[in-house]
Amino acid sequence: MIMTEQGETGEAITILLVEDDAPTCWRLQDALVKAGYEVRSAGTLAEARQALSVGAPRVLLTDLRLPDGHGVELIRETRQRFPDTEIMVISALGDEESVISAITVGATGYLLKDAFPTDIATTVRDLVAGHSPISASIARFIVRRTQGAAQNSAEPPPGPALNTAKLTPREIDILWGIAKGFSYAEIASHLGLSKQTVPGHIKNIYRKLEVHTRSEAVFEAVQQGLIKL
Amino acid sequence: MSEIAAKAPTKAALKPARRRLLASRLVPYLLLQALIVIVTILGIRLLQPNDPEDFAVSDFSAREDDLTRPVTLPHFTSSRYSLADPPFYIGAFAFRSGDAASGWSVFLPRFSNAVEVAVNGVVVLDSRRDANANRPDRNTPQIAAIPASLLREGGNEITVRLFVWGPLKGFLDTVYVGPDIALRPAYETRTLLFVTLPVVFSAWQAILAVILAIMWLMRRHEPVYGVLAAAMVLGVVQAFAPPPVPPAAVSRLAAVLLASAPIESALIVVFGVLFFGWRWPRYGTLLFVPGILVFVVGLIGGPPLPRILFLVLGIPTVGLCLFLMACVTATAVVRRQDAASFTIGCAVTIVLVCWVQDMLTVLEIVSNDRIFVSRLSYSAMLVAIGAGLTWRFARALNQVDSFAGQLVTRVREAEERLKASFAREEERARAAALANERTRLMRDLHDGLGGQLVSIVALSERGSAGATITDAARAALKDLRLVIDSMDDIGGDLMLALGSWRERATAQLRPHDIALDWRVATPQGLPLHPELRPWHVIQIVRILDEAVTNAVKHAQARHVAVTIETHDGGLGSYGVISVTDDGRGFALAGHCEAAGARQTARGLRNMRSRAARCGAALDLSSDASGTRVRLQLPQRFPDSDMAAG
Repeated sequence: MIMTEQGETGEAITILLVEDDAPTCWRLQDALVKAGYEVRSAGTLAEARQALSVGAPRVLLTDLRLPDGHGVELIRETRQRFPDTEIMVISALGDEESVISAITVGATGYLLKDAFPTDIATTVRDLVAGHSPISASIARFIVRRTQGAAQNSAEPPPGPALNTAKLTPREIDILWGIAKGFSYAEIASHLGLSKQTVPGHIKNIYRKLEVHTRSEAVFEAVQQGLIKL
Repeated sequence: MSEIAAKAPTKAALKPARRRLLASRLVPYLLLQALIVIVTILGIRLLQPNDPEDFAVSDFSAREDDLTRPVTLPHFTSSRYSLADPPFYIGAFAFRSGDAASGWSVFLPRFSNAVEVAVNGVVVLDSRRDANANRPDRNTPQIAAIPASLLREGGNEITVRLFVWGPLKGFLDTVYVGPDIALRPAYETRTLLFVTLPVVFSAWQAILAVILAIMWLMRRHEPVYGVLAAAMVLGVVQAFAPPPVPPAAVSRLAAVLLASAPIESALIVVFGVLFFGWRWPRYGTLLFVPGILVFVVGLIGGPPLPRILFLVLGIPTVGLCLFLMACVTATAVVRRQDAASFTIGCAVTIVLVCWVQDMLTVLEIVSNDRIFVSRLSYSAMLVAIGAGLTWRFARALNQVDSFAGQLVTRVREAEERLKASFAREEERARAAALANERTRLMRDLHDGLGGQLVSIVALSERGSAGATITDAARAALKDLRLVIDSMDDIGGDLMLALGSWRERATAQLRPHDIALDWRVATPQGLPLHPELRPWHVIQIVRILDEAVTNAVKHAQARHVAVTIETHDGGLGSYGVISVTDDGRGFALAGHCEAAGARQTARGLRNMRSRAARCGAALDLSSDASGTRVRLQLPQRFPDSDMAAG
């Protein structure tokens, strides 16, 4: 299949790895290089921008806390300049706070810093193949937010701003399934879907959660009553 | 002892103080009343209308009881109860035709009870046809034009028949004969004062009677309005009912009219007592006796008797009532010192003065052309009282309004206080919850992360192999994620926590090439537990972690299966989570020689104690073909940490 072929021809795939902690960076780089990817690494925001000016990577993996700025800015810039680049956040804990804020600017999923090398390679391969991974805890956060929005819209819920209004009931059902630990196959059979359509739905979910521009972000925030003008 | 001793002098000191207070309040009031008496007398004098004295005809010869004698008007005749053979006055006046331009009239300013006037033998005026003119208490004047054809140049004869019905003496004031243009103004003035004004007052009284009656109907507990309304109704009936001219057949109506004055005055006393907030004394009813007596006698007896009775009983009753009212108001003034008592007191004094004046007039002590002012002043007083009551009512409404306003303000204040106290309470509850949460977090971190980090430190110091440190660090990270994960609000759905755990467990098992078989019996998974708290979740997940870790580390399993089911119990459904592995199992009791076995034993003890804290039942079965950990969740998770051993 095409997906596996792409994985096999991994040497053509370029990855920009932005991580300021050197051991972590080495670790991730080793795992990715071993899997056959072409990896450039950057320790700061400035270095990352420089690397981006050379050319668009296929995949951007970035930490959020960088010595000279925030990874969210890098994600937003990359998303605008290179729409085809897949973006993932590198997170120590995979906590909702950082992951969701990255998702809203265009990231699709996260990579744990201590993930096993095989998992790191698998995750990136899936990402390149068009499978945006979504973890149970992130799915849980999103569906809890949809519930909260339905219950009381007067008070903004804690945590990062997230507009779940565009999600369809089917997408929310899928998120529920993921949050409860069901596999794609199980979700598909519960919802009467074909198993192959589930990743597409998840991609859509990511796209809908993304806030494309600053002004749109403000607009969304106003729409949701998060900001009072 | 000392108290009594202290009280005695104060009581003694109080009496002079009270007396001083009484004097300091009563004396100015009495002085004020004296001033009002003087003003009233002066006012009555000023009120005396002026008559055109140029045209006075006062020299008459009167024939009374077959006795003819010259008299000078004004003249009193004896009282009588028969209309037959009335006193007959014959007089003369001079007519000059030069004055005839406006026509001549005869004007009688005051007479009682009725007159028949004839000029040159032709009757020009008979007041018996005008019911109001016959009332002795209304100083009604009469005027009549003299047809020009009757008048002769020079001397003319005028005759007056004076009809008198007792008990009062007959009275005929000076008669005026002259040009109508000269007499008319005086007549008009008297009509205004003694006819129109009383009618205006009575109409006013009628309106107030209606208003007060409505007030009383709506507020039955305030009889003061009803009493005053009754008094006013009586006054209105008395004023507007046409008094019958004897010998009228309707003597009963006359009785009612006669009885009205004493009953009215008694009602006014009742009003005064009630108005000032005192109890109406039982013997006070005696005040009504004279009025009722006059009424009853009037209903039964013939015409003269009730009239005599009225003179003897009714009029003094009126005086007595006025005097009582004056006393009542004086007491009220001393006690209350308010505007209402002062006003009513002054009004009563005026009426009392008028009554005394009328008495003196009747007794011919004061020559006053027999003008009675009691009725007029009484009507004015009633109107004043009615106006005062309406004012008081309006003020009460205002008070109600302001009270309502105060109430609103107070309720708002109370609301604010309540809100503030709510906020404080909420703040305190939140602080307590936060403190509890912090304590729990500390304990959880201590149980897992702390121990693992310490173990990492120890291993690093010993220069131990990297793999062991890696395991310890991974365990620490895993535990940190568990603690963070458990903080999230999962709304009582344990499946949401298990979903994350599945990911972690899969990641944990993957390097060991162990497949995690995840079987959920129903799409819903587990029943909802609204009472589920983070610390329950942590305990359950740690139990499952322990089971999986055992399977990996000690049992060398190839497959681990997690089964999630919901069973229906007697009282409701409960969840069961089972972790099954295909490892070699372990002996549940006995030999603890191997380090692994000892560790396993500790792990099992931990699992049991955690299950007990959550109210869950842990069931372990292990043999050579594998191990099965069955965790049966409670139907309801315990509120407090049941830290059973």
